Amino acid sequence: MKSRSLVFGSIIVSFFLIFAGCGAQPGQESSSIQIKGSDTMVNLGQSWAEEFMNLHPDASIAVTGGGSGTGIASIINGTCDIAQCSRAMKPEELEAAKSKGRAVREVEVAIDALAVIVHPSNPVSQLTLEQLSGIFTGTITHWKEVGGEDRPILVLSRERNSGTHVYFLEHVLRHGNDKGPEEYSPKALMMPSSQAIVEEVSQSAAAIGYVGMGYVSAREKKIAVGTAAEGPFVLPSVDTALDKTYPIARALLMYVPENHSAVVDTFLNFVLSDQGQEIVQQMDFVPLYQAPLRKKA
Amino acid sequence: MVSEPLLKIEVKSLNVHYGSLQVLKDVTLSVNKNEILGVIGPANSGKTSFLRVLNRLIDLTPDVRVRGEVHLDGINIYAKMNAEEVRKRVGMVFALPQPLPLSIFDNVAYGPRRHGLHHAGKLAEIVEKSLKAAFLWDEVKDRLSTSGMQLSGGQQQRLCIARTLAVEPEVILYDEPCSGLDPISTAKVEAAMFELKKRYTQILVTNNVKQAARVGDRVAFFLMGELVEIDQAGRIFTAPRDKRTDDYVTGRFG
Amino acid sequence: MKRQVESAIEKFILLNGVACIFFVVLIFLFLAREGLALFKTFSPLDFLAGTRWYPISTPPKYGILPLFLGSLIVTLGATVISVPLGMACAIFIGEIAPRWLREILKAGVELLAAIPSIVIGFIGMMTLAPWVKYLFHLPTGLTALSGAITLAFMAVPTIVSIMEDAITAVPKSYRAGSLALGATHWQTIYRVVLPAASSGIVAAVMLGIGRVIGETMAVMMITGNAAVIPTTILEPVRTMTATIAAEMGETVQGSEHYFALFAIGLVLFVISFLINMTAGAFLHRERK
Repeated sequence: MKSRSLVFGSIIVSFFLIFAGCGAQPGQESSSIQIKGSDTMVNLGQSWAEEFMNLHPDASIAVTGGGSGTGIASIINGTCDIAQCSRAMKPEELEAAKSKGRAVREVEVAIDALAVIVHPSNPVSQLTLEQLSGIFTGTITHWKEVGGEDRPILVLSRERNSGTHVYFLEHVLRHGNDKGPEEYSPKALMMPSSQAIVEEVSQSAAAIGYVGMGYVSAREKKIAVGTAAEGPFVLPSVDTALDKTYPIARALLMYVPENHSAVVDTFLNFVLSDQGQEIVQQMDFVPLYQAPLRKKA
Repeated sequence: MVSEPLLKIEVKSLNVHYGSLQVLKDVTLSVNKNEILGVIGPANSGKTSFLRVLNRLIDLTPDVRVRGEVHLDGINIYAKMNAEEVRKRVGMVFALPQPLPLSIFDNVAYGPRRHGLHHAGKLAEIVEKSLKAAFLWDEVKDRLSTSGMQLSGGQQQRLCIARTLAVEPEVILYDEPCSGLDPISTAKVEAAMFELKKRYTQILVTNNVKQAARVGDRVAFFLMGELVEIDQAGRIFTAPRDKRTDDYVTGRFG
Repeated sequence: MKRQVESAIEKFILLNGVACIFFVVLIFLFLAREGLALFKTFSPLDFLAGTRWYPISTPPKYGILPLFLGSLIVTLGATVISVPLGMACAIFIGEIAPRWLREILKAGVELLAAIPSIVIGFIGMMTLAPWVKYLFHLPTGLTALSGAITLAFMAVPTIVSIMEDAITAVPKSYRAGSLALGATHWQTIYRVVLPAASSGIVAAVMLGIGRVIGETMAVMMITGNAAVIPTTILEPVRTMTATIAAEMGETVQGSEHYFALFAIGLVLFVISFLINMTAGAFLHRERK
């Protein structure tokens, strides 16, 4: 009896494995949109999608996360209509997309300031980019070395499928030289989500991590970041991101295939409209331009 | 009390219930030292339950209640002794031969080892002595390390007797020990029982009335949980006092 | 007519059996093709003995030694915790507990098995990790130990239910025989019941280990995922399964990184295969 059901189970699983690869391709002409990618942007994308579906009741949009890498792989493999990314696609990824006949276009949709966070009890409140690089590559291992308490530093990073991981690597660890030799310390914990980083930082006096500004709560402390040792040190906020005084701010992007459907076009226009950019601000990200915004109460 | 044989087991007003079902009703009897008591009766007469009371294996039955007294050498086995001690002194051979999944040697040595004997020489001595007493030694002496489960049915049953003897009990209970055996094996088991009479008190529950007549010194007849009659084997089979006994032993019953 | 039905049923069952083997072979071939493709461009030695896992660097490094050791330490830890616990629990349910308690416990164990692993992982992350951190004065509770404890909880239901089945299947006559010789309850369990159930017990342990080594989501949430070679069980580790799960989504089909993840899958397959072989050899020896 048992072995019999095992046989059936195996058959079902095997069929599933075989046919999983041949799932329905995203519709080109229908009014449905598959959006995939950055976890940082998944809530933002969801809010856009909900508002858009209110305005266009016949449209249906599904937003999923998984990381920028996941979105990029998906757009290259042709299993989504829009990839949300918190980092730019690499030349070889663009090349891969082109060689598969799915050349893509990049659209900047919002700006995100990455907050570096520590436990509220940590006396350290400002760090230079140089010090951050040292901490995350593992050359600085002790809080004492940056003016803190006598305890080792617990480094928290996002997983490699995260655009935030790559952005932070290239812009902080490698000082903007994306082919630089620096790597995350092998001792860095790779957390599966931004939420997990926030959770761990709020519990551990030794921890340091980075997350999108929207994730930070009162249980963690934001670090003021400076480009030089003599300052100025700047806290992340909408204003400092917009006037570009906060150094760890990046563009949030959408990638769409060159030959996308009309509904994707309508959606992108909505995202870039005043209404779409207002949602950006409501979600604690930084809109592309300040002019039309009403300040939040 | 002059030439009265020594009493080994005394059972007084024994009542056993499984839940609400009464399987033994007010049984009182005694067993003499070095005798073989045959216990006969139809199915569900309470014979096996009676046997399991005597070595407290009945304790394992869920929802069982035992009332009354059972004395071994004058000591109440339910009030004054723990179950392991009772079972060490009152051994049991089951209806179906049930060797443990061990070698022949380990089967016989199992009991002594559990009671703390680990000296290899003494164990070997006990194993040989017990197998000889059960008339099995000559058949298995060259393959003591093979599994006990590979023996024939009759050999397995004699292995179980040897295993019981190895613990050096005072009383041996047999629960229909020959029900699954051919006549030759049965004869060997019965021969072993006669031989063991010199040293042990034995109680034999059997469905085979003729076996009880052949082996038993005295015979007890159970019916529906009651002890109908207990007497010398000769009397039970020739001049029983109770008509029900007569009906049963002559095969007119049921 | 009856004979035709009979033979149709036989053929159907035969087909199922053959299909099963066919699919296993198919999966293995697929895994081997995709996994071995890595070694066209990357040395197998650097893969197996390399100590650095930097798959998205240029040039990438695909050393799985830290991942392998991470899996090993978590699996060993979980086994050490779950096997005695599961065994004691199975013995209690099968041999000692009264009937009413037995039913309650069995239902409880089955319920434990029904909890999705991600839920156990989440509970582990929220409650167990802070506790481990506090108890051992660690900078973080996301360690191999937390992972091992969490996984032990997942393995215990498997171990208990299979072991309990094996123990209950031991013929009553063995117990009666042992007890009738004056052995105590514990001696009977230890000397007769457990040896008689040993093949089932080994199977239970193996399936428990299988569950642990293949578990992914919970491990990803609670072990910290730092690809360092662990020196103690109180350090963060990164397991092979968590690596595949965390990185498979981002890889482009046909890229070196993609092949590297399949190569890890191949290593996992080989490990599971070896575990089963060992169990099989052990069971075979047992039966003699």
